[in-house]
Amino acid sequence: MNKAVIQAANLTKTYNKGGGGEVHAISDISLEINRGEFVAIMGASGSGKSTLMNILGCLDRPTSGTLLLDGVEVSTLDDETLAGIRNKKIGFVFQSFNLLARTNALENVELPLIYSEKSDTRRLAREALEAVGLGGRIHHNPNELSGGQQQRVAIARALVTDPEIIFADEPTGNLDSDSSLEIMALLRQLYEKGRTIVIVTHETDIAEHARRIIRISDGSIVSDAKNNDPRPLDREIHKNASQDAADEDR
Amino acid sequence: MKTGRMVTMVFKSLAKNRLRSFLMMIGVVIGIAAITMIVSVGLGAQQRVLDRVKKFGFESLMVRAGGGREVGRPAGSQPTTSLTLEDINALKREIRAISDAAPMSVKGQMEVIYQDRSTTTGIFGVTPSWAAVWDWDAADGDFISDEDMDGLARVCVLGPTVRTDLFGTLNPIGEQIRIGNVPFEVIGISQNKGISPAGGDMDNRIFVPLSTMMRRVANVDYISAAKILLGTAADIDMTVASIRSLLRERHQLAPGVPDDFTITSPTEITLMAEKVSGTFNMFLALVAGISLLAGGVVVANIMLISINERRKEIGLRKAIGAKRKDIMRQFLYEATAVTLTGGVIGVILGMIGAKTLEYFTKIPASISWESIAIGVFLSSLVGILAGLQPANKAASLQPIEALRG
Ligand SMILES: Nc1ncnc2c1ncn2[C@@H]1O[C@H](COP(=O)(O)OP(=O)(O)O)[C@@H](O)[C@H]1O
Ligand SMILES: [Mg+2]
Repeated sequence: MNKAVIQAANLTKTYNKGGGGEVHAISDISLEINRGEFVAIMGASGSGKSTLMNILGCLDRPTSGTLLLDGVEVSTLDDETLAGIRNKKIGFVFQSFNLLARTNALENVELPLIYSEKSDTRRLAREALEAVGLGGRIHHNPNELSGGQQQRVAIARALVTDPEIIFADEPTGNLDSDSSLEIMALLRQLYEKGRTIVIVTHETDIAEHARRIIRISDGSIVSDAKNNDPRPLDREIHKNASQDAADEDR
Repeated sequence: MKTGRMVTMVFKSLAKNRLRSFLMMIGVVIGIAAITMIVSVGLGAQQRVLDRVKKFGFESLMVRAGGGREVGRPAGSQPTTSLTLEDINALKREIRAISDAAPMSVKGQMEVIYQDRSTTTGIFGVTPSWAAVWDWDAADGDFISDEDMDGLARVCVLGPTVRTDLFGTLNPIGEQIRIGNVPFEVIGISQNKGISPAGGDMDNRIFVPLSTMMRRVANVDYISAAKILLGTAADIDMTVASIRSLLRERHQLAPGVPDDFTITSPTEITLMAEKVSGTFNMFLALVAGISLLAGGVVVANIMLISINERRKEIGLRKAIGAKRKDIMRQFLYEATAVTLTGGVIGVILGMIGAKTLEYFTKIPASISWESIAIGVFLSSLVGILAGLQPANKAASLQPIEALRG
């Protein structure tokens, strides 16, 4: 098996502005992400983080450059094949959760599976919710859950297809600091279980939970370094998370 | 995605947006209800024509006094007095194709009295041949006999409606009633014939001997009409021509003078019935067409609005792996599910409407699989056509564009 999940070379994304001008959202970005890594892409707002993540996640196409996902060149594939790849190999977590309203947690998590060939989708969805500590909330609709819980449902939805890599764009951007820590603790837990995770953030505090931090500025990588000293997790938060897990067992 | 799963998902999504689904449905409900009524009433009319032809018989003709194409004479005009019993006898005698004839003299809206009760009804002066020619005999007691004819007997056979109106549940046979000022003895009750194709109550009439009718009731020497029964091998068109020339000769009509009688054949009756139901159908078809069109436009527009509102949902679905065709199907199914549901409601309302119409106007309605099938087919068609463009628009959204909201 290929050690690198992502191999990107010379990725560029250029937008045409009105009046003939061009915006280089990212320019000449090359990077590799290996299986089992926990990477944070960090940079100021407008630096091109989301653009990069969307391209790496096959949601968007680069203007130029090549991208190998799991050893397969994806920049030349058509939309339908890319949809299949996103379904099988990639999990997304968005800043605004993007859960279907008036649809319970279980059905939200099940959603990627109904676009796959997988069977037993209910059970898989339930297991994913249990894995994020929401086994006791499976029939709750998003409006009956806190922000942190909603984001955990979204993480379960990203996990449920057992993807190669999980992308999270500002996953704590809409959360208070307690919930943010709770989500980062969950992501770290998933990383420790062997998941490949890429988060995008503009907050140093959040980025420091990752084991590798790629800083970008004006669409280019300015630094790419290991973070061997991840931010300590607040024990209180940890306790709360396991408290929730204990709740469901009843 | 599996179809069953998609259908469940679509109905759930519609149930979550009841008001929107309801608004999308209205036009289709009205359109399909109207179409169901058309089909039901149209089939009813067809049935009515067939029934009529069956009752009237294919091998028969009607000869009526008075010219013109219309049935009945214009209000206020003088009755035509030229058609006589002798004419009918001559037809029977001289035209071989004619196997029997039932001449009649009719007087509508006469008051009849039994003791302290009275009612208004049509009086039919008929000969004994009426029973065979019309297949319309006495159900109780006797029908008019040759002796009654010869003796100008003051006897009568009551239609079931008249019988109920005058006698309630009492046995009328042997009782005396008065028609105008003439006393008649009730000798029988005629068979139940129900509502005529034109909507009249065929049981609200009294039969008396034709001779008695002419001399004692109407005091005339002409008749109103005769039903002519033809032999099985008769050529209808040729017979009509022979009857016409014989009657013209007997009435001494010079060439160029219009007929003073009308011969009606079953085909003409059929055409007439078709014309009547045709006008009604045109109107309903217009209503149906317009409401279906409007319904389709409403569905398409609400779909477009809802797709705009649901951009994030569509983007998310695409991000997590929905293919173009998945989104396309989802929205096509949504449109079709809405219109199909509207269609089913429309079919039910249309049937209720047709039956209500039948109840109040006596226009017969026939509920059939055809009307259901047409309703289901058309409503699905509207859904597919109305959903096509919005669904295509949804399916064409790029995931990141849509996610951005
Ligand atoms: N669809 C687009 N059209 C034009 N410019 C865009 C578009 N998407 C992003 N940009 C521009 O590209 C740059 C990078 O944006 P983005 O990747 O969203 O940054 P970040 O996520 O780091 O805040 C910004 O200057 C932004 O305005
Ligand atoms: Mg961003």
